[in-house]
Amino acid sequence: MQTAALRVFCHWSQSNSTAMIRQCLKCRALTLQQSSRAYGVIPPPRDSEEKEMVHRMLRVDHAGEYGANRIYAGQMAVLGRSKTGPFIQEMWDQEKKHLEKFNEILAENRVRPTALLPFWNIAGFVLGASSALLGKEGAMACTVAVEESITEHYNNQIRTLMEKDPERYTELLQVIKEFRDDEMEHHDTGLEHDAENVPGYWLLKNAIQLGCKAAIYISQRI
Amino acid sequence: MAALLRGLRAGRALRGLSSVVAAPTTTNPQCGSLRRGFHCAVLRLQDESKSDKPPSSTSSSTTYHEHYQAHSAEQDAAASASDPAADQSTDPNASYQDQSGEQDEEYETEEQLQARILTAALEFVPLHGWSMEAIAAGAESLGLSSASTGMFEKGSGDLVLHFIAQCNAQLTEILAEQHNQVQLGQAEPKKTADFIRDAVETRLRMYIPYIEIWPQAMSLLLLPHNIPDSLKHLSTLMDDIWYYAGDRSTDMNWYTKRAALTGIYNTTELVMIQDSSPDFQDTWTFLDNRIQDVVNMATTAKQVQSTGEAVVQGLMGAAVTLKNLTGLNQRR
Repeated sequence: MQTAALRVFCHWSQSNSTAMIRQCLKCRALTLQQSSRAYGVIPPPRDSEEKEMVHRMLRVDHAGEYGANRIYAGQMAVLGRSKTGPFIQEMWDQEKKHLEKFNEILAENRVRPTALLPFWNIAGFVLGASSALLGKEGAMACTVAVEESITEHYNNQIRTLMEKDPERYTELLQVIKEFRDDEMEHHDTGLEHDAENVPGYWLLKNAIQLGCKAAIYISQRI
Repeated sequence: MAALLRGLRAGRALRGLSSVVAAPTTTNPQCGSLRRGFHCAVLRLQDESKSDKPPSSTSSSTTYHEHYQAHSAEQDAAASASDPAADQSTDPNASYQDQSGEQDEEYETEEQLQARILTAALEFVPLHGWSMEAIAAGAESLGLSSASTGMFEKGSGDLVLHFIAQCNAQLTEILAEQHNQVQLGQAEPKKTADFIRDAVETRLRMYIPYIEIWPQAMSLLLLPHNIPDSLKHLSTLMDDIWYYAGDRSTDMNWYTKRAALTGIYNTTELVMIQDSSPDFQDTWTFLDNRIQDVVNMATTAKQVQSTGEAVVQGLMGAAVTLKNLTGLNQRR
């Protein structure tokens, strides 16, 4: 959108003077080279270490949202036409928005997505569907477990970024905080809808959380 | 008078040392002391050849000794900045003007010096091949000693990798320029296949001056200690080409596209080195055909997917019809 605005401005100014055109060209070239500056979410990296760290964070977040998306898809496939359908649909729509935002950020900053995406695709769907087969409480318990893991993960990332340089990463921190709040809301919704009533709640919850931790660990590296 | 001169020299040395401590480090903190030693030896020999003094063994050994002391004193100091200070403190003919002049001239990082030598060495590659002789000839053409080849741990692999990095940087510049032109509306955006073909052709044409000896370079890149760097250069090149071709995918397509392009690029490179047609026409034809193959494969994959979806829809429809007929499709 900003390049379109610049182009309009330049066409208008073309009738005025060549000096302004040269300015346009310079600022457009700049925005193309460092498109993550004024309007981007992450600042242009200062060195390869920082780039590596930020890219790793974005990669695992993208993988997380993708997985969450697939989990809700699995749950909807089983429970879509039951009473809890609308609640799951609402949470799924929010996750879709999160995924869209991360897709944007990854594309803009040329971040490599994790190579395990097909695996998370299947694993997420299977997890969602099998937890939903345990009934509405099972689906809610799965939601509670996953959202708790994701919230903890986002909190860790927020802590890391705050320790490094909160002013440099303000936009990224904003995005992560917003998403973390959404996930906490999902967690509370799950608890409201009798997640704890599923038989073997403690076992189910811990097994799923262990899986989530492993997934986060792997996606950061591959 | 002599005491005054000695006092001035001591003051200069102290000032030089303090400026080294205060100066921001520009060299790579990971460079080994051995390479720094070679760097300093290169600069000192350059220095001595410039001032036209016959290097006496005693003076060179004392400067080397002082150089070691200077380096042990500050681990993180910029190597090049400390050398002029060490040199001038023992050079009896140095004047104030010389000190500031030499510090400006020789204040470059080790990477920059290596890059300069390797760029100069590329001229001698058609003559000597991708070898240490070419690097030595390049160093000598810059007025440096041929002993500076010791700076390059990977030997001739360094020369090939430097050339490849240079070619990649040139290509990225060209692609960025084209991208700008399209954004400004001064050029039409090319179709993806055409863009890829032009990008690969431009990049491979950079090998034409060295095409006779390119097989040697390719075999050098396959040596175990060169493989990580050459793979890194290759993957960055593929990523750059796809980025400027407009790829913004964030799923498996990211990987499949780059893998396909790597296959196209490598096979075309292999065809090029044994191509004897005028202006490598056969190579570009081969490139066109390979790109067409990939495009066809992508189209076929899409067709298969949509056919599969249609079939699934049909099956679901049939299943629902059956359920309705048998009365199983009632809400409980």
